[in-house]
Amino acid sequence: MWRPPPRGRHTASPMAAHPRAHRSSLNAQRRRAGILFSLPVLVLVGALLLYPIGQTVYYSFTQWDGLTATWVGTSTYSRLLHSPDFQQVLKNNALLLLAVPVAIGFPLAIAFLLSSHLPGWRFFRTVFFLPTAVSWVVIGAIAARFFADEGILQRLLTSVGLGSVHPDMLSHPHSALAAVAITFIWGMFGTNLIIFLAGMSTIDVSLYEAARVDGAGPLRVLVSITLPLLRRFVQFAFIITLISAFTAIFSLIYIMTGGGPGFATTTLEFYGYQQGFATGDFGAAATAGVMLFVAVAVVSVVQVRLFRGADE
Amino acid sequence: MTTRRLSRPLLYVVLAGITVVMLYPFYYMITTSLHSSDQYQLGSGSYSLASWRNLFDVLPVWRQLLNSTIVSLGGIAIILLVSTTGGYAFAILRYRAATVAFLVVVGAMMVPLQSIIAPEFINIVNYWRINHLDSAIIVYAALGAPFSTFLMTTYLRRIPMDVMEAAMIDGLGWGRAYLRVILPLARPAMATIAVLQFIQIWDDLLVGLLFLQDPNVRPITVGLATIPGQHGLDVPLLMAGSLVSALPAVLVYLVFQRYLITGLTMGMGK
Repeated sequence: MWRPPPRGRHTASPMAAHPRAHRSSLNAQRRRAGILFSLPVLVLVGALLLYPIGQTVYYSFTQWDGLTATWVGTSTYSRLLHSPDFQQVLKNNALLLLAVPVAIGFPLAIAFLLSSHLPGWRFFRTVFFLPTAVSWVVIGAIAARFFADEGILQRLLTSVGLGSVHPDMLSHPHSALAAVAITFIWGMFGTNLIIFLAGMSTIDVSLYEAARVDGAGPLRVLVSITLPLLRRFVQFAFIITLISAFTAIFSLIYIMTGGGPGFATTTLEFYGYQQGFATGDFGAAATAGVMLFVAVAVVSVVQVRLFRGADE
Repeated sequence: MTTRRLSRPLLYVVLAGITVVMLYPFYYMITTSLHSSDQYQLGSGSYSLASWRNLFDVLPVWRQLLNSTIVSLGGIAIILLVSTTGGYAFAILRYRAATVAFLVVVGAMMVPLQSIIAPEFINIVNYWRINHLDSAIIVYAALGAPFSTFLMTTYLRRIPMDVMEAAMIDGLGWGRAYLRVILPLARPAMATIAVLQFIQIWDDLLVGLLFLQDPNVRPITVGLATIPGQHGLDVPLLMAGSLVSALPAVLVYLVFQRYLITGLTMGMGK
């Protein structure tokens, strides 16, 4: 859909004919071209992301079945906030936050081990990163088999003589959420590992050597050299992980638990979908959508501030 | 180097352990799919291709693989178009309001699909249509556009102004400079965006679930997600489906690993 920039009214012919055209007309053409070239992305993003988020905010103050909307003010907000189910949903999101440090710390430690480029490190990197290419749907389908009553976990326990322990994790509220969190940590491992490996490759090797000459052990090197220099990368991994926990595991929950038992594994993103497309309460879906958006926006803005702070 | 003091064998034991944890699901998918439903339930050791035959009966597998391919490539094409034109405008042309426009696009990165899914769906139903691949394509294009444009803008900022001035002196004009100068220079970033978005779109569920409800227009990931609801819990069947749906994205990852890795970190920019 490429179109040439429009010809200026006052320039008789386009640039091509007058390579030494006046600077002002060159600038005018540049501005027009700039505006034209901005349009595709602005139209696309405006129509399909920004306009709908405006609608979401508006509809969150209405009772909306998808066809007709009546203004109800903040009553949907107070209805949700007072509903035990919805409080459970918010609690689930908060509990999922607990998985974030693990989802970062674990790959950070492994990246540190791999960063010494021991023989075979490329193979390990490829294998460890593999889950990143696999959809949450597939991951969820397998994880459901892993945690199921007679699933892989149970077989593992039985084979080490712990058959009497019968976790049946997906049937109990707390353990079901834990199962989702563990699966999430597994799924994020590769992504965060790559971020940290990229970060560690920017660190000057001579720093390590100097530290070793000074008699620093591996742990000391990790704490005093690697971690401070990785700060930007840790923050980046943090925001990716947190936003994924809130907005990317819809399909994982859909396949693995369906949000249950009860609301035990329903998060804000899943709740919004359920309210809209299972119950037909699009108003509640919009309200949950606004809360999710605010949560993501707050995290992003705080993150940008932290980044700035680190650079100065 | 830094790990000299840790014993090497211990290190390899740890890495091998993680390798098992990361690869076991693939092993499980393959071996389980090679049982029939009965064999699986009885825990019998014999193998059969029954679940694979069954998969092709319950899902239009080829059709859905084709749908996934069309949707992914269509989405990528639009994303590449808008991210290169946008990146060109924001990084090179830099007209007066370019910074504001760039911030608007980047700000849209904060809009999660799940927040807007209800109005988005109603809008598409009212002003466009569902159950056609193009509805999913434009939604995916919009979702991928902000990050891709951000990445492309960051990338194109590195192009020295001399290059553009030379193009102007050659009498190219801003429009043709996009085609002859910017697009060739942007190729590495375009490759990264294409790989990132392919995996993103191929692996997605929600958009396909809502906008493509007819089995014949469903992408494979959505088809897979609908198996349990329609055919009960047939684990070998589900694993065969999982394998088929995961394989293309995994292959793309293995072949284009390099681009994916730069893409993840390129987002951090400078």
